[in-house]
Amino acid sequence: MHTDSFRRALGAGLAALALTASAAACSTSATSTGSSGSSAAGGTYTIWDPYPQLDSGSAWVQLLTKCGTEAGVTVKRTAYDTTALTSKELLAAQQGVSPDVLIVDNPVVSTLASAGVLTTTAQTHIDTSAVESNILAAGQINGSTYGIPIGANTLALYYNKTILQKAGVDPASITNWATLTAALAKVKAIGKTGITFSAIGTEEGSFQFEPWFWGAGANLTSLSSSQAVAALSLWTTWIKDGYAPNSVLNDTQPDNWNEFAAGNTAFSENGTWELSAAEKGSFPFGIIDIPAQNGGNAPTPTGGEFVTVPVQSNTSRYATTEKLVACLTSSDNAYTTDTALSYIGATSAVQTQQGNTTAALKPWITAVQTAKGRTSDNLGTKYPKISEQLWTAVQSALSGSASPQSALNTAQSAAQNAIG
Amino acid sequence: MNKALKRRGKTVVGVVLTALMLFPVYWMVNASFTTDANLRKNPPNLIPIGGTLAGYRAVLSQQLPYLSNSLLIGLLTVALTLVVSAPAGYALAKLRPKGGGILSFALLVAQMIPGIIMAMGFYAILLSTGWINTIPGLVVADSTIAVPFAVLIFTAFMSAIPEELLQAAVTDGAGRFRTFWSIVLPVSRNAVVTVSLFAFLWAWSDFVFASTLDSGGGNQPITLGIYHYIGNNDQQWNAIMATAVVASIPATVLLVIAQKYVAAGITAGSVKD
Amino acid sequence: MNNGSQTLDRSVRGRAGAANDAPASGRARRSRNRSSQLAAWAFLTPLTVYLLAFYAYPLYRNLDLSLRDYTVYSFVHGGAPFTGFANYTAVIHDPTFVKALVNTLLFTFISLLFQFTIGMALAVFFAQHFPLSPILRALFLVPWLLPLIVSASTWSWMLDSGSGVVNYGLHFLGIGPVNWLTSPSWSLASVIIANIWIGIPFNLVLLYSGIQAIPATLSEAAAIDGAGPWTKFRRITFPLLRPVSAITLMLGMVYTLKVFDIIWIMTKGGPVDASTTFATWSYRLGFGNLLPEFGPGAAVGNLLVVMALIAGLVYIRVQRRQAA
Repeated sequence: MHTDSFRRALGAGLAALALTASAAACSTSATSTGSSGSSAAGGTYTIWDPYPQLDSGSAWVQLLTKCGTEAGVTVKRTAYDTTALTSKELLAAQQGVSPDVLIVDNPVVSTLASAGVLTTTAQTHIDTSAVESNILAAGQINGSTYGIPIGANTLALYYNKTILQKAGVDPASITNWATLTAALAKVKAIGKTGITFSAIGTEEGSFQFEPWFWGAGANLTSLSSSQAVAALSLWTTWIKDGYAPNSVLNDTQPDNWNEFAAGNTAFSENGTWELSAAEKGSFPFGIIDIPAQNGGNAPTPTGGEFVTVPVQSNTSRYATTEKLVACLTSSDNAYTTDTALSYIGATSAVQTQQGNTTAALKPWITAVQTAKGRTSDNLGTKYPKISEQLWTAVQSALSGSASPQSALNTAQSAAQNAIG
Repeated sequence: MNKALKRRGKTVVGVVLTALMLFPVYWMVNASFTTDANLRKNPPNLIPIGGTLAGYRAVLSQQLPYLSNSLLIGLLTVALTLVVSAPAGYALAKLRPKGGGILSFALLVAQMIPGIIMAMGFYAILLSTGWINTIPGLVVADSTIAVPFAVLIFTAFMSAIPEELLQAAVTDGAGRFRTFWSIVLPVSRNAVVTVSLFAFLWAWSDFVFASTLDSGGGNQPITLGIYHYIGNNDQQWNAIMATAVVASIPATVLLVIAQKYVAAGITAGSVKD
Repeated sequence: MNNGSQTLDRSVRGRAGAANDAPASGRARRSRNRSSQLAAWAFLTPLTVYLLAFYAYPLYRNLDLSLRDYTVYSFVHGGAPFTGFANYTAVIHDPTFVKALVNTLLFTFISLLFQFTIGMALAVFFAQHFPLSPILRALFLVPWLLPLIVSASTWSWMLDSGSGVVNYGLHFLGIGPVNWLTSPSWSLASVIIANIWIGIPFNLVLLYSGIQAIPATLSEAAAIDGAGPWTKFRRITFPLLRPVSAITLMLGMVYTLKVFDIIWIMTKGGPVDASTTFATWSYRLGFGNLLPEFGPGAAVGNLLVVMALIAGLVYIRVQRRQAA
């Protein structure tokens, strides 16, 4: 009886084991992703992009399929959330299953390149000659280029025409920080909010602060310079004087846009991508470039993604991958993609075409032409460490935990430590 | 008379408390009807006047496949959790295995590992087995949230089953497996329902595992369906909230049905003495 | 090392389980024991395989990450030098450490205190059957069903300093706007409030079911003795609920220590580090930056596991003392 009961119990255990084992057996027969699966001729090529909002019916996905067909391969596209893409790719590279084409946010390119995950355009023979040099710079480290931009975007100031009219502000009069601040004061006097921006404690916060930081003449290698303090003091005073709401400390760019779209705020620091939303909005709007401290346009940071080619063990795949990349970034196709994403083209050909068809894009085209890559100036992988300290300093000064000067002093010494 | 009045008074208090508790839920429903432009309006709209049904239209046209994926993932997670944890609970409660102590302690520790750490490990495991972006891969990961809890519940519950009941079965000549299958399990029905409910709900609302392990395939659960409305640069909040409202309906129904058993299930064994 | 659940069930069952150890003589007993051991482990096999397959690797990996100096390059290509506890030392000397430690403790204990107290009060309240009580009790569980990303986002709108409904309500009470999420002195309180709200249903379910299991005869007897409701709670309900309370608090603590989504969505741990806990800090190091710092991120995660472990040992200790 005992042995009998034991056998039954054992049987139960084994049944469960068999379940696990058969599951494991299943897995080996399951298709594997990426390069390991197929040979160079024909086969499946994988593409990762950070556009989960674009579903399979979108122009973007249709373009991917079309480019695949032209290159004689099947394209398998996977969309990931942009913030997760860096660690996903690092983990995939570790396991040797990187996608054939990876589309990533431009400041990430230098990180992935230093991880040895990306090929250079020289290796894959991708032609980047048509790309504007200021946009391409974000993908260049120590003289090598690690990808080709699909398009670019940047920041400017949207304004609410109705509010400015009521407050008696002529947008053309805003040429430097002093005139902008004076305009905000007039807006406040009629009971409206002056400006919203995003000072959130992430990369987005640094991205939004940089036009002011650079516009004061500050440099990312010296966070505690007097110019940097001037820029941070500008934001801090705006909050203290009630020109900007306290919620900017926690607002993402879409949050800051929603606040503007509610119709009670005169200005919003935001990007090209909100253009179509603005056109559908309930009030007339305009766009001005962000002024530098003493007049002229401030350099703004470039946003937008790069098309990169991760390293494969089977290097014969690069030839087909090059065809895919060339197709995705060809003038006609880039124009379609940039229109769909509300981006500005990375080549002058696409920019001219966009300017001719859509007049509203003209201020954005000039803004992109003067924009600056965050990781350029050969900062590369130092940028993320500096940027983290920069947004921390912004948060610390705006929340009143420290004065702009002491917040930036702390940031500078922390950044120095981190870079080593 | 006085007593009836008192009971009614309690109902009033209960309704007020429930309303207070559910205010954020109401706010979510309110947001599901609000246009993005009105989302940050000051003062806020307390009721969705001038609302939009755009969110719900988006859900009905786009989210139904995600809902059925979630349902399937939830049910499979429940099955896997039960298969692994019910026999273990029985063994720990009644068979007094040597080394059971270490196993229980391992479970306690297992429960403490933050999800994101588990997720990174799973990503590597699933990539090398080819289970990334598949339903079985996500089911295995989701079950890790529930298994330690389930073993705890089963052990507590099954140890309260009177020894005489099991002894009677043994003298009847039933083997341990049959005792487990035809006596212990049926008696533990409440614990089974409780564990199932928790496992289902955790799988249903999981986001960390889904986004790490399943965000690339065609088998995504509803939490990722929601996340697709949070684009790189734009967020459709009314669609997000409408999805949440729609997604919580099946879960609510399930919860109301299972309530009776859950109440009796979780700790029935623990209070006796 | 004793185990949690066995001590636990021993304490709750008293010595009812003694039947299994009924005296039997010599060999018969030994062979019965051996077969019983084998049977037990046959039943435990699925769990053991499962634990080894799915828990051991992530845990090992995290330990390895924390003991080496990983750069993004060595993360991909291997060859990160072993640095012992260097990551831990670095993390402990980081200015964020003390802040994160204090916040983690405050977040966990204040959340637990309120979740448990409110959960207990509601459980006692709903245990007195009155019209609509089952349906109202079920409704209380709805917050639990919402994906965290949704409930946390909803809370962050409600607490928005400009357009939030909470400040709108306070305005009618004559209280000026509070910068819930953006002021260093309020942001931790805000995420705690949201977390308490999310945790109440879990506490309510567990405690309510515990109350249901108390034999009705006991409270009837107390009522005959003329005990008021408070005395009844203090003398009968609360002591009998002790084992259930212990599980509830233990599980609640394990889950609260790990909370990350709510804080990350509502405040990102900010402003500066005002609402940073170990969980969000670990995430920020590993994922919240353009350049991941895997080593320190894993080290912080492991410190969190150690904290929970200590609490687990304390719990087992208390259980054992109660059982003795």
